[in-house]
Amino acid sequence: MTTLMSKPVSAPGKSVIERLNIVTAVVLGAVSAFVVWRLALQFLPADTEVRLFTREDKITLLSMVAWFIGFMTGIGALVGPFRWVMGKDLSHDENMFLAGKDMGVNRYFRYTTDHKVVGIQYLVITMVIFGIGGILAMLIRTNLGTPEGGWIHPQAYNSIVGTHGIIMIVGTIIMVTGPFGNFIMPIMIGARDMAFPRLNALSFWLIVAAAIPLIWAQFIGGISTGWSAYNPLAGQAPLGMNGYIMFICIFAISTMVAGANITTTIVRMRANGMTWNRTPIFIYGTMASVALALPAFPVFFLSQVMSAMDRALDTSFYNTAGGGSGWLYENLFWIMGHPEVYVILIPAVAALMEMAPVFTRRPLFSFNVAVMGIAGISGLSVLVWAHHMYISGWAPLLNAPFMLTTELISIPTGMLFLVLVGTLWRGRLWMTMPTMSIFALLWNFMIGGITGIYLSDVPADAFLHGSMYVTAHFHYTLMGAGLTGALAALVYWFPKMTGRMFDKKLSWISFWLVQIGFNVAFIGMFTVGLAGQPRRVESYASTFNTGNLITTIGAYTIMVGMLVLLHGVISSWRSGDKAPMNPWQAKTLEWTVPNPIPLENFDVLPTVTSDAYGYGKAKS
Amino acid sequence: MSVETHAHHEDPDVVGSRNRLGVILILVADVAFALSMVFVYFYLRGQNVNDMWLPAATEERGAIEPLSSGPAWTVTAIAAFGLLAHLYALKGGREKNQTQLKLGSLVAMVASVVALVMQFNTIANAPFTFSDGAYVSCFYLFTIMNFVHLALTVFISLGNWNRARLGLYVSNLWMVDIVRIWWIWMVVSSLLGAFSLSYP
Repeated sequence: MTTLMSKPVSAPGKSVIERLNIVTAVVLGAVSAFVVWRLALQFLPADTEVRLFTREDKITLLSMVAWFIGFMTGIGALVGPFRWVMGKDLSHDENMFLAGKDMGVNRYFRYTTDHKVVGIQYLVITMVIFGIGGILAMLIRTNLGTPEGGWIHPQAYNSIVGTHGIIMIVGTIIMVTGPFGNFIMPIMIGARDMAFPRLNALSFWLIVAAAIPLIWAQFIGGISTGWSAYNPLAGQAPLGMNGYIMFICIFAISTMVAGANITTTIVRMRANGMTWNRTPIFIYGTMASVALALPAFPVFFLSQVMSAMDRALDTSFYNTAGGGSGWLYENLFWIMGHPEVYVILIPAVAALMEMAPVFTRRPLFSFNVAVMGIAGISGLSVLVWAHHMYISGWAPLLNAPFMLTTELISIPTGMLFLVLVGTLWRGRLWMTMPTMSIFALLWNFMIGGITGIYLSDVPADAFLHGSMYVTAHFHYTLMGAGLTGALAALVYWFPKMTGRMFDKKLSWISFWLVQIGFNVAFIGMFTVGLAGQPRRVESYASTFNTGNLITTIGAYTIMVGMLVLLHGVISSWRSGDKAPMNPWQAKTLEWTVPNPIPLENFDVLPTVTSDAYGYGKAKS
Repeated sequence: MSVETHAHHEDPDVVGSRNRLGVILILVADVAFALSMVFVYFYLRGQNVNDMWLPAATEERGAIEPLSSGPAWTVTAIAAFGLLAHLYALKGGREKNQTQLKLGSLVAMVASVVALVMQFNTIANAPFTFSDGAYVSCFYLFTIMNFVHLALTVFISLGNWNRARLGLYVSNLWMVDIVRIWWIWMVVSSLLGAFSLSYP
């Protein structure tokens, strides 16, 4: 329970809003999909030319679109827009009902608009995503435990690799801005809610709606292309590819909606006196992340729309025989794909920068450098996409400029390192799991960053491209840095989100298991990558056996660590020590509200008179 | 805890300003989408892979000839007329002239419907099939996406007219102003499509 129970609200009796929940959503979605599937089977004409799957692609895509529309209708996403058109705006009581007032646990299964509910919903779905993605990772590593593989059928293996990739990318994109950007950010800036509460609920339920096509895909051929779904490979892939396309399209809409909502909230709803110089660094990180995603994901969306048209309508965007180009897809994909790395990284690093002053009891070292670092990374990240395409043969003359822009990113990234190290320097460390996570991030991100410089270098990339070295590199950045920051954020903000302290012992055990396992797994992967093992293979030469075995052992260690963490989340949430209002003695606004947090956060909106990092100062 | 919940706390201008920024940010995403489409068009046109931008005649079918961009410009012109009608309505609202507000909103809504129907006709009567080369693929992409935009415009302008009719804009006009932003983007995006299709 995160909100305060107070006097009951007269909920609208038997209104449409009251009737809709996840059950009606699933039922309406399933019925819509089934009806459209039957109608399409009945009435869609057979293909006139020999073309694999085209009619089946149409049927699959139409059914998935019907699922999507049915689900969103059933959850209540269309009530607001149609009421607006009819000129019957939602009443105060209806809005209170939508906010989940006095609804207990039920509010988590409805189109609830309270940002704290949405934050918890994001937290749970992120854990589910990581759970599924983690299981797929363990299947991959188990199969690679021996050179001959064979434990999983090669086609199933391809699909597992592709699904693991895309599901983990989505999980890491939402892991900080979803739970903490929604739950913590509005309170941290002194607001009563997000700027657009209904859009906030929409962004979450879109992700739930997107999950079904991805699951569906597993039963109709899987995702055999890897997470990047390059064309024309994707155009020739089994029907499961349609699930990937729908998943990405819906997720992209969710990201756009969330981006506009979070950015507006930060720009327009900061407390009185919270100038940009007094705005916490986590807010900058969150805003940079969603603002980057805002123009990047529509490009990905378009790439998938065209992929769907190529498959279902036989257009020629990526089909060279019809005048299309595979390079076109690669460009569109990576125009999204590289900013997306920073969409993941920036908020995680910013969360750790937020914690560093708290656990060192020192001001954040050079706030302005931190802001410049975030801005620099964001700006440069949209100018580096073609470094993923050096070896593809597209525009060789552009290799040098893209190498330059990519290597330039080291400078603003170095600024963030400087801020973290400067804050830790001579600080009186309060050794908690989040504190250790700062050190872990510095170590992992250093390895991820330095190995990335080699990949940005054209001659070195000619050797390393497509090898396990690349896989190890991006795991060091996204998991070693990104996930480390997210797990620290979980432990740090857990008391405010649940009203309970996270079990200290379990947080430490989990931290060490995950970090040791992680470094064992991916340093092992670097060694086989440098030795020449290609990525995405199901079996390999026996010369790579030792490195792969080490990686698999490391992966199992991570799994144990994550299970300990999961146990910690559940047991602490259920029966952990009750958290005081401000257990870390931090200075940001979220720690000034009581547990459980009142529905509208603040009785009186706060006025900010100084920055949040005045530790060690006489009057702060 | 939506806008209405906070209405007793907040000035309508503050709420309007927040909503305006939100719509502009969502349009940033839509602009990125539209510019990507223009990029796709000129990339494929420039590459002309296998000379299949506009395929030459074969034994089975004749050469693919590009369509005149006239219909695309006509749809854009109707959308521009809709925008002007909406601006007329907004002006009326600002001058407390409810009749002008309602009339302008109604005309804008009708214009959006006419543009939608014309766009549908362009798609339905195109003299080629989806598989007739890269130009045709781009033609369908632009026209279908413009159709989707216009369908959204019909929805928005219908709501706008209905709310004007019900007198919901008497006290403040920020929603009408936000619909104006959408109309401007509608015209610009349609113009981008018409411009691209003028260079087959």
